Amino acid sequence: MFDFIIQGFGVALTPLNLGLAFSGALLGTLFGALPGIGPINGIAILMPLAYTLGLPAESALILLAGIYTGAEYGGRMSSILLNVPGDASAVMTTLDGYPLAKRGLAGPALGISAISSFVGASIAILGLTLFAPLLATVAVQFGPAELFTMMVFAFASMSVMMGKDPVKTALGAILGVLIGTVGVDSGTGIQRFTFDIPDLYDGIDFVVLIIGMFAISEILLMLESRLQHGKTGELPVIGRVFVTMKEILYCKGAMLRSSLIGFLIGVLPGTGASVAGAVAYTTEKRISDKDNTFGTGDMRGLSAPEAANNASAAGSFVPMLTLGIPGSGTTAVLLGALMLYNITPGPMMFSEHPKVAGGLIASLYIGNIVLLLLNLPLAGFFARVLTIPRWALVPGIVILSFVGVYQLHSDMGAIYLMLGIGILGYLLRKLNFSLATIVLGFVLGGLMEENLRRALAISGGDTNILWQSGISQGLWAASLLLILVPFLLSRLSKRKAQTA
Amino acid sequence: MKIAADRILGFALMGLAAFIVAQSLSIEVPFAYDPVGPKAFPIGLSILMAIFSLVLILRPGPEGDWPSASVMLQLGLVMVILIAFAFFFVRLGYPITAVAAITAIARLFGASWRAAGVTGVLMAGASYVLFTAVLEISLPTGLWFS
Repeated sequence: MFDFIIQGFGVALTPLNLGLAFSGALLGTLFGALPGIGPINGIAILMPLAYTLGLPAESALILLAGIYTGAEYGGRMSSILLNVPGDASAVMTTLDGYPLAKRGLAGPALGISAISSFVGASIAILGLTLFAPLLATVAVQFGPAELFTMMVFAFASMSVMMGKDPVKTALGAILGVLIGTVGVDSGTGIQRFTFDIPDLYDGIDFVVLIIGMFAISEILLMLESRLQHGKTGELPVIGRVFVTMKEILYCKGAMLRSSLIGFLIGVLPGTGASVAGAVAYTTEKRISDKDNTFGTGDMRGLSAPEAANNASAAGSFVPMLTLGIPGSGTTAVLLGALMLYNITPGPMMFSEHPKVAGGLIASLYIGNIVLLLLNLPLAGFFARVLTIPRWALVPGIVILSFVGVYQLHSDMGAIYLMLGIGILGYLLRKLNFSLATIVLGFVLGGLMEENLRRALAISGGDTNILWQSGISQGLWAASLLLILVPFLLSRLSKRKAQTA
Repeated sequence: MKIAADRILGFALMGLAAFIVAQSLSIEVPFAYDPVGPKAFPIGLSILMAIFSLVLILRPGPEGDWPSASVMLQLGLVMVILIAFAFFFVRLGYPITAVAAITAIARLFGASWRAAGVTGVLMAGASYVLFTAVLEISLPTGLWFS
């Protein structure tokens, strides 16, 4: 059963793939550290360029996964040093990370966050190795009806866990699914919503969508914040990045608990690092914050979200590799990348593409060690990236976005589409939409429709097939609970507040 | 009824939902391949979208902070630069348009003319070499180089 991991190490340890894991980790950390560029942005911008290298699927995935985990490492820099979270998952890191840096403990803060990240990722990768093949053997028995209900469950957990506004989360996901319906319908070959525009016949390209949504809209947001807030803060003195054994032991409880929380939340389809960090931080605050030191620069308050972030990043590979359902926005991007290689992730991954699945998991082990070794001595160097002025950074993003899309399509129509989607993305972000929901909707929607139609074709149109099996019934029940429980709880607490 | 961004969004999405339903109904399916067909899924989603839009119209969330007119103008300007970059990309070739676009964007983000110009020339040159020589992407050079 675990042959795949041995085979995987065989793949990951070839000089090419080792080099790619290393460069991915390095590039990811750099991109993650760049102000305003989180993991999704980093992968979105670098993904098309990864194609031009003409790599085989497993190597491309190793590179992208390295960038993903690296960016999670790099993203913490601006949170700790400048109090500017690179993306939603880094918000919790600022709470205790920035106070530590202000007290002159920037070095130890970066150190403890690197070690927490390492521990979180290690535990989660181990969990991934153990549970993914198990889940895959169960998932092989899933028919189209079960897969359809699984998607319903994914959307349900997404609407509850992501963003503060469930209505907008739902609308974002629906929009994403609808964007995915543009193009030739795979069931009948009929054009849908293409309006006789040749550029739309193949549907809206995934790369065009995510570069527009993330990179182009980010440029607009950066310009807006520059005009409104002026200069970014000064970089504090970092000093030597070291951690004493005492500090590690002080945080060990927070680290281990948060790693488990992060892994579990990562495994849940549709929820990612932003949720994991928040849940881990609040849990840890409840358990260990006896002297009210959380929020004033308590190392445990920094360690908890960092361990959880990285654990959920690795955990989100579980549903992606076994069910073909991404566990987070960023894995949705990776899933899209795999589909461009004509590999549809799902329960058959481990039997049909053991090189890809095993190679990816093995490379996560390697990348994790590389990242720790890179980040402890080089934190000062990476932090310097933060001081790159926006006026030098933004043209770079523009160039990479344009050339990335151009080399895939050799067609300006795709670039105009990217710019249009960028404006849409900017408006949606101003309206408090989470873009990750749209990307997840886009990736999941096509699979959802396909499985629904396949299921109903099998049953001859009888909708009973959707809740016949025990697995489906369980998933429907779980989805209902996910939606109803928070709703009822908020009702209840409101009533209590009224009577009190 | 107060006008809020969320309400405008709600109405816009309702309109979009109606448009998608109308479009879906006009899809001609010559032969039924499966009992569901290509129409039902988008129509179902549009109905869901309309329901959520109604919630948004009835109970809009807090109004976000929208950019002032002068900021809006600058945002428009950066989009104009990007569209111009796309428009001249093939016509004039990558090297020249990239220098112009990088310089203009750097300027817009607060660089001095000198810094912007130097960034434009260096970044365009370095990226051209990187893309064509190292990554082997063929970029348009413009008519006068060919």
